[in-house]
Amino acid sequence: MPDESNRNSQVGPSEVMPPEHSGTIVPPKSIYDRTLTWAAGLPWWAIILLVVAVAVLYSMVTSSVYRDIIESLTDDPQVSTDELFEVVQIVGEPTMIVGRYVGETQDSVQSVITQLLRNVIESELVTQSGFIQAADPATITIRTETGLVTIPRDRIETMEPPDATIGDDATITYIERITITGTLTERDGDTMTIRTVDEQIETFEKSRILSREGETIPCDREADPDCEDQEQVTIERAGREITGTLSTLSQTNLSLQPEGSPGTVEFRMGDLDFLYVPTLTIALHEAIVEQPVQPGDEVRIGFVEGTDITAALAEMENLEDVPVPLRYSDGTAQVVLVPYPDLAAALEATGAGELDATIYLDDGPERLAAADWVDENPDAGVVLPNPPSTCDRHCEVTVKLQDDTVSGIVVDETDEQISVRTQAAEYVVIDRDQIVDNRRMEPGTCALNNLRGCNEGIFLTLRVTFLAYGLALIIGLFVGLMRVSHNPVIYAISTLYVEVIRGIPLLVILLYAGFVFSPWLRDNTPLQLSDEWEAIIGLAFGYGAFVAEIFRAGIQSISRGQMEAARSLGMNYPQSMRYVILPQAVRVVLPPLGNDFIAMLKDSALISVLALPDLLQLGRLHISRTFRAFEGYNTVAILYLLMTLFLSFIVRTIERRARLPR
Amino acid sequence: MMSRNGEPIIRIENVHKRFHTLRGTVNALNGVSLDVMPGEVVLIVGPSGSGKSTLLRCINRLETVDAGQIVVDDIPLTGAKNINKVRAEVGMVFQSFNLFPDRTALGNIVLAQRVVRKRRRGDAVTRAHNLLAKVGIPDKADAYPAQLSGGQQQRVAIARALAMDPKIMLFDEPTSALDPEMIKEVLDVMLQLAKEGMTMVVVSHEMGFARAAADRAVFMDEGRIVEQGPPDKLFSSPSHERTQLFLSKIL
Repeated sequence: MPDESNRNSQVGPSEVMPPEHSGTIVPPKSIYDRTLTWAAGLPWWAIILLVVAVAVLYSMVTSSVYRDIIESLTDDPQVSTDELFEVVQIVGEPTMIVGRYVGETQDSVQSVITQLLRNVIESELVTQSGFIQAADPATITIRTETGLVTIPRDRIETMEPPDATIGDDATITYIERITITGTLTERDGDTMTIRTVDEQIETFEKSRILSREGETIPCDREADPDCEDQEQVTIERAGREITGTLSTLSQTNLSLQPEGSPGTVEFRMGDLDFLYVPTLTIALHEAIVEQPVQPGDEVRIGFVEGTDITAALAEMENLEDVPVPLRYSDGTAQVVLVPYPDLAAALEATGAGELDATIYLDDGPERLAAADWVDENPDAGVVLPNPPSTCDRHCEVTVKLQDDTVSGIVVDETDEQISVRTQAAEYVVIDRDQIVDNRRMEPGTCALNNLRGCNEGIFLTLRVTFLAYGLALIIGLFVGLMRVSHNPVIYAISTLYVEVIRGIPLLVILLYAGFVFSPWLRDNTPLQLSDEWEAIIGLAFGYGAFVAEIFRAGIQSISRGQMEAARSLGMNYPQSMRYVILPQAVRVVLPPLGNDFIAMLKDSALISVLALPDLLQLGRLHISRTFRAFEGYNTVAILYLLMTLFLSFIVRTIERRARLPR
Repeated sequence: MMSRNGEPIIRIENVHKRFHTLRGTVNALNGVSLDVMPGEVVLIVGPSGSGKSTLLRCINRLETVDAGQIVVDDIPLTGAKNINKVRAEVGMVFQSFNLFPDRTALGNIVLAQRVVRKRRRGDAVTRAHNLLAKVGIPDKADAYPAQLSGGQQQRVAIARALAMDPKIMLFDEPTSALDPEMIKEVLDVMLQLAKEGMTMVVVSHEMGFARAAADRAVFMDEGRIVEQGPPDKLFSSPSHERTQLFLSKIL
């Protein structure tokens, strides 16, 4: 307690004397300042209207108009991200249309439906057992243990017994609903078109074509005079040859880094036609593949004249696992080297049994010559055991994939390349009326060119921030009041809360809320928190401590005289707080509270650890799909910045309005 | 001692008050006894730290007493449950005004009437306007404290206290924080109050007010009442040495 002279000289912040003479020099106000002053002068409902107007403007900007503008400006439909929709819809309504978008006649629609139902659309079957209470041509009503169920007959899959009628017990399995998953491509007033299967187009060099059969499908010129005929082809094509540096080799898999490309390509051994290690090709007569060399045997080895047979033999000596017939190095066998004018002749001789083996060393363009000859002469009796690997990690290998067949519609053909659509996109058109539930409507991913994709995240972020901050204000106000209490128990409880919460990272508090508090609540009380509420509670508790300290500081910044004046007028403590101290304290703490509010908006990015699709999470989703980290994080950063600037403006407006006249 | 209407409205009996500070214990009041009769105007003077403000604050129970007893309007303050009722009967005016800066002059005067006296808004506002007229600033109803001069603020503070219809008014150095030219306007209001028969306990060194309005002057030093008597007598011929020394310094 200060003595009287001290108290007498005490002048609280609120008791500053009025300026007797206002300044004569008025500095020109900035536009920002003028806007702020103007906004501060608006009535409260105008502020709300302003906020709504901004929201409307935003939704207009993010509508399809914006998307169309982007598309027309860039002339690249790829810049706007597709919308992904998963729709759960009741099946069996007569108006439902399911069909292939391209090239289907009316007759084949039914089979397409069946196919789609089987492949693309998930049906949820439900089995109900009970007593048939009513039956009419369209429906059957059964009484189950839980109540009456009316089932349309056209959705019934099985009924046991099949001929059950009223009064019988029956077990009925029926389609309760089906789920259609795909990409929304078109939406009008009544229908939605969903692409359930993506188009697949294969483009490859014409040089790989081994054989080609085709027929022309004439198009319907009556319906569309400008249409072009389509060619349905079946192409047998040679497997690709890929040369590169070997990175891994195992019994089942092989991966290599193709020349001039940074990544690695992985193959299953089963898909490979041939693996060529260019240092050495060994061809064996098929009858002696596992035949060991006996002492005194003569091993006849053919080679191509002009090639370096010494180097080839040395290379073979280096192999760890030499094919059995060539294991002659104990010196008891006699090796006869037979020159041939070309490889084909040597291989032919090998197949004929004149030679035990042919060895061929070449890393030039003729790499696969031996393999090709063996392919062309399957009955020659020559085998090419995969060379046992001396090839360590970094040697250069060539793989040849197996030949395959491609069939589909030719969509593009040049002299070098041909593009074949192997699978047409499949579309489902559904009546919007029939949709009973949209399980997930993900409008693409969040990107600057598709802001609609960010909406969910923006609104989640805003919702969580506003609710959490509202809760934090309530917690903070009460704890702040407890912190200035003279009751030691109340003071201790509030101090414990503040110190504990303030000392734990917000991220950890959020994880506690999501994975400790929420499960506990679920197990011990009937309450079940959604992910969003877990995040809100976590943020609110984490920020409550800071807000409490702000309130405490604000309350303590009000001079004692205010409390004394209020008390001397006969108000009790709560009344004095409510009517005198808090209104002043709130004015003092508005700037730090606004600061905390904006900080919380930013910290709400942490809630993505609770698997909530907030703005950051959506941005990361975009990045994981497109690998465009710079753009993705830019989008997130810009949107956060816009939100905080907007909030900052609102906070300042409120501060300006709360300022006392002087 | 003057005696009016029999019973004293404030009875202070052998009050002790200690403050415990970091530097040690300060004995602010050492056995003070004082009775104030209804309608009486008592002036307390004394050097800084003599306990005069503490005594005033004890009457309002802004400070609790360690020993002794204070009875205001027949309600003993020690352990009183309805202390707020007593406070509402005792108006207090502070040296630093302590107006509520976020409320207009009118709002300052209306607030406690509404919250404590539960008056209807219309009644409270009418009363507030009357009081503002009484303290001479009827045109400042909508001004915020920061827009008023010190003298005007103090007069609003007086009006605020009067709005509760107190039986007693306590003034804690009401003019010390004011410019000399503003002191008079406040003293005029106080003089008028004294003429109307308000019981007042005033801590002040305003000799002019003392001579014009005070029924009794009390000199305090080191937590004790050294001397008391009619102001003229006390100021012109103090009997105690300490009083003489003090007066010689301030006069």
